[in-house]
Amino acid sequence: QQQEAIGMETRPETFSIFRTQENDPACQSEQHLGQYYTVPPSHFHTVFPHGLPPRYQQQVKTFNEGCVMVRQPALELISHLKRADYSKPTLRYLLYGVKGSGKTMSLCHTVHYCSTQGWLVLHIPDAHLWVKNCKELLPSSYHASRFDQPIQASNWLRNFRTTNEHFLSKIKLRQRYVWTKRESTEEGRPLGELVDMGVSRVKSSSDVVGAVLKELRLQAGGTEGGFRLAVAVDGVNGLWGRTTLKKEDKSPVAPEELTLVHNLRKMINNDWEGFDSMDPFVPVPVSLYSEKEFESCYLYYLDRHWLQHPHSQTEEGKKELIFLSNRNPSVLERLCAFL
Amino acid sequence: MAASLTGLLKPWTPRVLLVRWSRYNPYYLEPEPRKEVYHIPETELTPEQKEERELKSVRPIKAATNSVTSSVFNDPVLSKFVNMMMKDGDKIIAKGIITQTLENMKRKQVEKYHKAPEGKKAEIECNPYAIFHQALENCKPVIGLASIQKGGKFYQVPIPLTDNRRRFLAMKWMITECRDNKHRRTLMYEKLSQELLAAFSKEGNVVKRKHELHKMAESNRAYAHYRWW
Repeated sequence: QQQEAIGMETRPETFSIFRTQENDPACQSEQHLGQYYTVPPSHFHTVFPHGLPPRYQQQVKTFNEGCVMVRQPALELISHLKRADYSKPTLRYLLYGVKGSGKTMSLCHTVHYCSTQGWLVLHIPDAHLWVKNCKELLPSSYHASRFDQPIQASNWLRNFRTTNEHFLSKIKLRQRYVWTKRESTEEGRPLGELVDMGVSRVKSSSDVVGAVLKELRLQAGGTEGGFRLAVAVDGVNGLWGRTTLKKEDKSPVAPEELTLVHNLRKMINNDWEGFDSMDPFVPVPVSLYSEKEFESCYLYYLDRHWLQHPHSQTEEGKKELIFLSNRNPSVLERLCAFL
Repeated sequence: MAASLTGLLKPWTPRVLLVRWSRYNPYYLEPEPRKEVYHIPETELTPEQKEERELKSVRPIKAATNSVTSSVFNDPVLSKFVNMMMKDGDKIIAKGIITQTLENMKRKQVEKYHKAPEGKKAEIECNPYAIFHQALENCKPVIGLASIQKGGKFYQVPIPLTDNRRRFLAMKWMITECRDNKHRRTLMYEKLSQELLAAFSKEGNVVKRKHELHKMAESNRAYAHYRWW
């Protein structure tokens, strides 16, 4: 998300319209609208092991740096998070917009903010990955009519471990969990052990995910070891739609019958400790690029030597790009890829 | 009989309007897709251009084919390559493969560019179009062979090639090389980008094939007199 600077930055060495030196999401403001900030490379793999769109990951690899544009929806979300009253029931925010308008990137920007503030981030990269194209569906051991997805659950647990390393030893379990006749996790053990068990024992990983979510829900609001919990789900309407999965007798599986989806829905219902009622959500619209944002994007691509066609660097070419892409961020990206 | 006579008295309009085929009545004029031509103001037109405009207001014009654009990014050589790559008339897939190829080449080069030290940066060519054109140039043979019959036997005689034939051969070799001689599981755009980058630096199988053709032509120099044109 780029913030367009109306007042130019007066730093003599690195002066550019489309880049800002403010790499901390907490300090970014309307001044930086339309500019690109760089995610420090050290943070990159811990904060975003999953969750970034695949084309953006390719772009990061090509340009050797991860730059995100500061845009209005992300700034709005971050300001809401800064000013929300955390003693009241949790607020839910919904980013909505047309295809390719930058919802996932805004979400990732907010996730970056949350992790720089030291919150525990529960980032589900794409809820659609859990409701379609699952190769293995095991019947759940915990609940007879539900189905487990061991591969997806263990993948997610592995990424969760990478994102929230320092929380894993601090949070203690408040309940005893029994996995099989011989294995159980006692009360008071650190969360890290639970997660490791889920990663190694693939069969019970979905139940481990459920347990992790429950623990975090119970402990999030607590005053003693109080930490802030942020749940970010990309493609959240996948949790309530239809699945493409089928049972062995070829009848379709409803989303409620999947353990992962069931537990995640409970999480979004926000009956966390101390929070009783259900809240309506705050909608945050994500629009296509404005003129200034488009300019920024164009200059960024020029700077990174991405726009190579000689005509694309002229005014005519730029007008044609605006016409062809209608300022849609993803369409522009795909166009500039081969130009 | 009366019906056919009244039919002949009507002014001539074609019953079936030709829009896709190339056999138009010579009465029809070619369409002009370039934008610059229409931006010249009235005063700056030469007499020929004025005459042409008069003609265009009277005569019918052929329908423009799908491959003709007024876009600044239009490249005739690339369009020809796309058409040669196309199978069963599926231009969307062929165009998709070419765009992926260009993107792939650009990615590889830009990655190399960003990781290279300052001195080497200027030598790395990042423009996929420049690479494509240069690679094609490097693959074009200068001289070709024709099979000419003399005294009952057929001899391979070296002959000069026209520009169109050279371009056609270079593209054909490139495509067949990528389709046949590569690993089965790699995708076409990956194979094409590897081959084009190799041809750009004058290595790879296609330039080898060109060199072999040149050697054959050189070794058959004695038969050059069998050419009569």
